[in-house]
Amino acid sequence: MAYIAVTSAALLTVLLLVPQLFGTFTAYQIGLFLIYGIVAQGIGFLWGKTGILPLGQAIFFGIAAYACAQILKNIDSLPLQIALFVVVVACLALLGFALAFIVFKGRSDSGPYFSLITLALAMICEQVAGTATNTTGGFNGIYGYPTIANLDQFNELYYVIAIVTVLSTAAISVLNTLPAGLVARAVSDNEKRMQLFGFPTHLVKGLVFGLSAAFAAVAGILFANHQGIVTPTSTGFLLSANLVIWTAVGGRNHVYGPLIGAVGIGYLSSELRGSFVYWEVIVALVFIIVVLKYPGGIAGYLVDIFCRFKKNIRSTELHLCNAPAISTSIVQPKLIFSKTKVKMGPVRILNGVDLVTPKTGIVCIIGPNGAGKTSLLNAITGNLIVSAGSVSLDNKYIHNLPTHKAFACGIARKLQVPSVFFSLTVFENIALAVIAGRARFLDFFRPSTLKWRTAELTNLLNSEAMTALVDMEKPVSALAQGHRQFLEFAMTTAVQPKVLLLDEPCAGLSPDETRMMTNLVRDFQERNNGLIILIEHDMSIVRDLADRVVVLHQGAVLFEGSYDDVRNNKSVQDVYSGGTK
Amino acid sequence: MSSILLLNILWQVSILAMVTIGLGIVFGQLKIMNMAHGELVMIGAYAPVITSHLGLSGYLQLPICVATVGLTALIMERTVIRHFYGRPFDSLLATWGLSILMREIVEMIFGREYQSVSSPLPGTMSLLGTDYPIYRVVVILGVAVFFFTLLLWYRRSKVGTEIKAMVENPALAQAVGINTSRLSSVCFVFGAVSAGIAGMVLAPTTRVEPMMGLDYLIRSFFSLVVGGLGSLEGLFIGVGLIGGIQSTIGAFFNQTYGYLFVLTLSILFLWLKPNGLYRSN
Amino acid sequence: MTSTLLRFKNIVGGYGNTMVVSDISGTIGKGEVLGIFGRNGVGKSTLSKLLAGALPMSVGSLLLNNKDISFTSNHERRQRGIGYMPQTAMVFDNLTVRENLSLARSTQDMKYYLSAFPRLAERQTQIAGSMSGGERKILAFVRTMLEETCLVILDEPSEGVQPENILKMQECIERRKAKGTSFVLVEQNMSMLTSISDFYIGIDSGRIVFESDKKSASRQDILSVLSV
Repeated sequence: MAYIAVTSAALLTVLLLVPQLFGTFTAYQIGLFLIYGIVAQGIGFLWGKTGILPLGQAIFFGIAAYACAQILKNIDSLPLQIALFVVVVACLALLGFALAFIVFKGRSDSGPYFSLITLALAMICEQVAGTATNTTGGFNGIYGYPTIANLDQFNELYYVIAIVTVLSTAAISVLNTLPAGLVARAVSDNEKRMQLFGFPTHLVKGLVFGLSAAFAAVAGILFANHQGIVTPTSTGFLLSANLVIWTAVGGRNHVYGPLIGAVGIGYLSSELRGSFVYWEVIVALVFIIVVLKYPGGIAGYLVDIFCRFKKNIRSTELHLCNAPAISTSIVQPKLIFSKTKVKMGPVRILNGVDLVTPKTGIVCIIGPNGAGKTSLLNAITGNLIVSAGSVSLDNKYIHNLPTHKAFACGIARKLQVPSVFFSLTVFENIALAVIAGRARFLDFFRPSTLKWRTAELTNLLNSEAMTALVDMEKPVSALAQGHRQFLEFAMTTAVQPKVLLLDEPCAGLSPDETRMMTNLVRDFQERNNGLIILIEHDMSIVRDLADRVVVLHQGAVLFEGSYDDVRNNKSVQDVYSGGTK
Repeated sequence: MSSILLLNILWQVSILAMVTIGLGIVFGQLKIMNMAHGELVMIGAYAPVITSHLGLSGYLQLPICVATVGLTALIMERTVIRHFYGRPFDSLLATWGLSILMREIVEMIFGREYQSVSSPLPGTMSLLGTDYPIYRVVVILGVAVFFFTLLLWYRRSKVGTEIKAMVENPALAQAVGINTSRLSSVCFVFGAVSAGIAGMVLAPTTRVEPMMGLDYLIRSFFSLVVGGLGSLEGLFIGVGLIGGIQSTIGAFFNQTYGYLFVLTLSILFLWLKPNGLYRSN
Repeated sequence: MTSTLLRFKNIVGGYGNTMVVSDISGTIGKGEVLGIFGRNGVGKSTLSKLLAGALPMSVGSLLLNNKDISFTSNHERRQRGIGYMPQTAMVFDNLTVRENLSLARSTQDMKYYLSAFPRLAERQTQIAGSMSGGERKILAFVRTMLEETCLVILDEPSEGVQPENILKMQECIERRKAKGTSFVLVEQNMSMLTSISDFYIGIDSGRIVFESDKKSASRQDILSVLSV
């Protein structure tokens, strides 16, 4: 926090010095690109953190600018003007939120499609602005209105712009350090995992897009004041594309990147375009080289250099605090499958599963490849559509719920191929698991939330099996596959689920590691006393763990009983004879 | 009236199909959102300008078009594009930069002003009860023959599967023996050259200038969106809808409404049916 | 004595500046199976990638039939006769089962493999990505085995595969072995490893810590390497 205060103060000083050092006209020109920089910061946060690339950010910028021009033209009272500006920003933020929320609902990707929708919308806005002559003045635009409080565009207005720039920079810097920022990054890293942790990811994307729209709207209002004219180009595709270019060249991952990009490239272009013929060619070349060689942009490059000189700036000392208890409504974690069917194209994957699990205990599911074991778990967590029949937990139907709602029912799942957040550190991975289901809305905006730990989790992390995870600052992408299995197990059990679904937790583990994993599962069951459903091929693991064994074959339950029953059953032997490692 | 409209729609659809097939390969298969695709159309359209400037025979238009566009595409692929296979977002940015670069270079050579190109086949012929330019009729037939041959070849060849395999998992494609570097170059250059030829064919019927590409880029992008990526059938549906609707509404109302309708239709498809009307699988 | 097919010497390689495999040498004769084992993260998969050419070697040389192939890419090695089944991302998820199999350069033995794994025959038109983990392993295994290569590198083919199908995989390997094909087999499954390997390399921290032929290595020896 202190770091943010210092850098914000430094930025403010630099911006305030500009008119003194270079004169008010230069300050006026730079002011325009600071305004674009604010929009670009919103784009940078959206794109850098959640991976969504907006190609039509000028929609919000332009609409706000037009609205501002009309307000200034028709309304004289300053308080009313400001109130209406707030309304405009709020409405556009809401519009952005609704757009992303609706489009991303029921999907789990960062969607080039969404980018193209915003692109098409920007083109529509530009066309409409050019045609609807009565409200927008057509191609000539709206002009001849006063600035807010009659500020001098060439003098006082610059300071307003400077202050808003500093505020927007500080806001994003703070957001980056908060759990909310981590959640946004996690969504772009592994959306499926976030849904399994109960986060409605389309809501997260909607909120972040709404935030970026608000930034664009604020900038649009400043723009209308600054330029004294609003034309269709201010809501069009070309401006949107330029904003993205500035963000990319400046660096989308860092809060100062978009500012550097907008002011650096934008201002220099407008200065040099007239006097130097090849300038545009140079800009295009620089842009291509940045995208090719320095995907982090100028800011990313500077940060890399900075880190090379100053390693390990983060203090390793952590003051962890106790996480609040997790609450679930279910009392009887008894899963009931009733004639459950799942189809994929013409193939019937589950063909009428009838199964009632006990309330507690470890149920092992075995069966040949393609018998529908993983699909059974997918039907529980809403990753596959149940076409007929039902799945219920604690007497409530849970099939065909969105994935994130399964979590609220007390269900956690470890996937077959370890599903963790690869671009984040071990610490951040664990933090997300502890936040899941525990944090209330305000907790996402408190830095201390990141330090939550439970006693069980601390014990688990100190155990022999987790030695590979000791270096908490290590990125998960540097862990071996087997160690990711242990990390994902720790994360999945951190949420203390009543129903734990484990899909081949020992796949790819050595005999020693397999022993450690089975011990972890058994220990967890003794403490938690819930229901565990475990898919496994290795019969020695099944013998060690299972209270009950279910044999699936061709999408239906072939047999269920104790380990010995299964071993001695003739029909099971016919289709399946388990082996050991 | 109606037969003129029908022929105009056919003409629009043929040209659009020619532009879109290249984008379909590059965007649909290689997952490169090539924002410079319109500039390839533009460079192709300058081929007749080059021949008339240099006083060359009109028959050299095609070889010059293939050479200039092919070479441009090859340089693009070798220096920039190949780093972005399967990364639509980053490729979008890089090719956006390329498109600016290409426009600027053409502007330095030919200037910003409109160039007019005379039709190699002047005159009209009587067709379906109206007089229609011979040139356009020949182009429509030529495009039809091109697509027919392409379809026949594609049905028999394994190359479609190999391209899909390469884009999804280049490392594994290598392991099964696909020369990914050569295959991707060939695909990209083929897509580019077909766009260039579309530009060359268009040149006599439009104004040739450095900014002309954007409009074709946008319409072919949205044709792909509506039709669905990854199949020739989808491509024809998309091109037919976008080209047909725009020229019909353009004929009865005005161009802006046609444009707005196409944009709205595209948004609806992107939102509700992101895989388009025709799914390859 | 069988004639040498592949000879690799002092192989070093890894990702970026991190060397995962250091100084590994060995030879494989025609029709022999080399079993590679070791704990997680010790460099087994990396070694198989280096041999297949999916990852360039930093140091070392590779001779196939006495021809130097150290600097060839993955697809060139495939064309020279090295088949490779990676551990992860081993099938094309967006392609159908039939399309995946059609990518193999040879389809002569298709009938044999489809009768060994009837599930693949039933699911020809299904998208590979929608199949279960074990089925995808089988699909990748069959695709790799279909190719008439003189050497096949298999990286954990049995992971997630039901025991019966593991036995069938072993049968398929034995069948090709009888025809003179050599194998490099990276495995965690002890029974598969010990039943078909002719000799073993045990790896720890990127180095060879155990080397033996089949007769003189006991299961206990191997387990002791794994529990270091």
